[in-house]
Amino acid sequence: MNQDSSSPDEDIAQGVTTVSYVADACGRQQLTPGSFWQPVEVVNRQAWLVIEQQVARSKAQVAAGRRSRLHYYMTANQMNPGLLARYTGQPRWRVLLHLCPFFFQRMAAQTITRYAQLFQISPEELMSGLLKPAIPSRQDNSHHAD
Amino acid sequence: MQTEFPHNQSAHCESGVAANLLSHRGIPLSEAMAFGMGGGLFFGYLPFIRINQLPLVTYRSAAGSILKRLARAPGVRLHQRTFRSQQQAMEALDQALARSIPVGLQTGVYWLPYFPRALRFHFNAHNLVVFAKEGDDYLISDPVFPQPVRCPAADLARARFASGALAPRGKMYYLEQVPESLEPAPLIRAGIGSVCRMMLKSPLPLIGVKGIDFLARRLASWPRRLGRERADLHLGHVVRMQEEIGTGGGGFRFMYAAFLQESAALLAEPGLEAAASALTAVGDRWRSFAVMAARICKDRPQAEDSYPAMAAIIHDCGARERQVYQELSAWLRSAPCR
Repeated sequence: MNQDSSSPDEDIAQGVTTVSYVADACGRQQLTPGSFWQPVEVVNRQAWLVIEQQVARSKAQVAAGRRSRLHYYMTANQMNPGLLARYTGQPRWRVLLHLCPFFFQRMAAQTITRYAQLFQISPEELMSGLLKPAIPSRQDNSHHAD
Repeated sequence: MQTEFPHNQSAHCESGVAANLLSHRGIPLSEAMAFGMGGGLFFGYLPFIRINQLPLVTYRSAAGSILKRLARAPGVRLHQRTFRSQQQAMEALDQALARSIPVGLQTGVYWLPYFPRALRFHFNAHNLVVFAKEGDDYLISDPVFPQPVRCPAADLARARFASGALAPRGKMYYLEQVPESLEPAPLIRAGIGSVCRMMLKSPLPLIGVKGIDFLARRLASWPRRLGRERADLHLGHVVRMQEEIGTGGGGFRFMYAAFLQESAALLAEPGLEAAASALTAVGDRWRSFAVMAARICKDRPQAEDSYPAMAAIIHDCGARERQVYQELSAWLRSAPCR
């Protein structure tokens, strides 16, 4: 890539400066600080739009009583039943059952705790009340060491 | 406990960690050099492995292979282990830190709170170095960040035990022994040799230069086979794997060109310099594909943008890359082994 084609857009890195290899005037590749290249922003945004659509659909299904609240938390955290099963140490078919409101309401206390711990919410928040956003949206990015 | 670590920001996590760990032990090494000596460049299109229902495209060798190759260098000993229990894994980390050893970890990006939100996907092969602990926080040299970062112990434990594809199972590693200095020539030759083998001699049609051609053919048929919307998603996914964080741009091709340039200067080999220029041109070509793809994904195509046009660019990338690796193979055969 040539130096003049980098873009000043700083959207997806949220102000974090990244480095990439850019050829200088003599054609030497140099590690150059900068922000993301603009086409990367486009495809990153595209990937997030898909996730946002899935979350909105899940929310609507939960509101209509067709899916359990677990389905929302799974989708919002970019998981699928297989991954959720591995995180909570259960067979996949049990997770699939818990995605139905009928079985969700009848989960053992231990199972509820396991899901709640994974999604970093309280058991009460998992079972009722307002749906909380995904884990990354609840954390801020002020963790720099100095 | 020590709190000093030479944190050098890099474009790719694994080669950055390898370079920083070696530099810490008195063997200064650039990221590009670590990437090249570790034989990091690759291409694979593996549609039977799905990430978020999209086919796996990779421009780099398998996670962990750069470190593995570097650990085979004469005189280097890398201690590496995985764990069953989170508690054991965190205790082992603390013990190593108490002995002032900076520790490399494999982690899942989704669980790291300091990562920008837009980049937090379930990707489990992110490498970083923990170099100190302060209270309940670990001080981390994450090579893709400009400065060292802080991470609470609970979050780091989660990240070390992320599940799914490439699950790290608490993997930690540190350098047990390093030589006085690394003899670069044999490592450079071995690294280039392994890349040439993988890219030119793979028996599978999905890997190496053949894989690039395979992707080009598949890509041309996406709109017909998948419909417009799914085709655009597949396309965006390829561009993300090529250009997003950790690639250094152009699907690692620019980083490898940097390695070839550095090697050319080190070994006084003009042949490598020429290969570097050719590879830079290939990287630019990959980028022109990405630009066209982004316009299509954004639904603002120009007159010349189309799937067949992109397939033609990728075929061209494949042909050019084949030439670069053939030249490098010829150089390996002709240059005297030192």
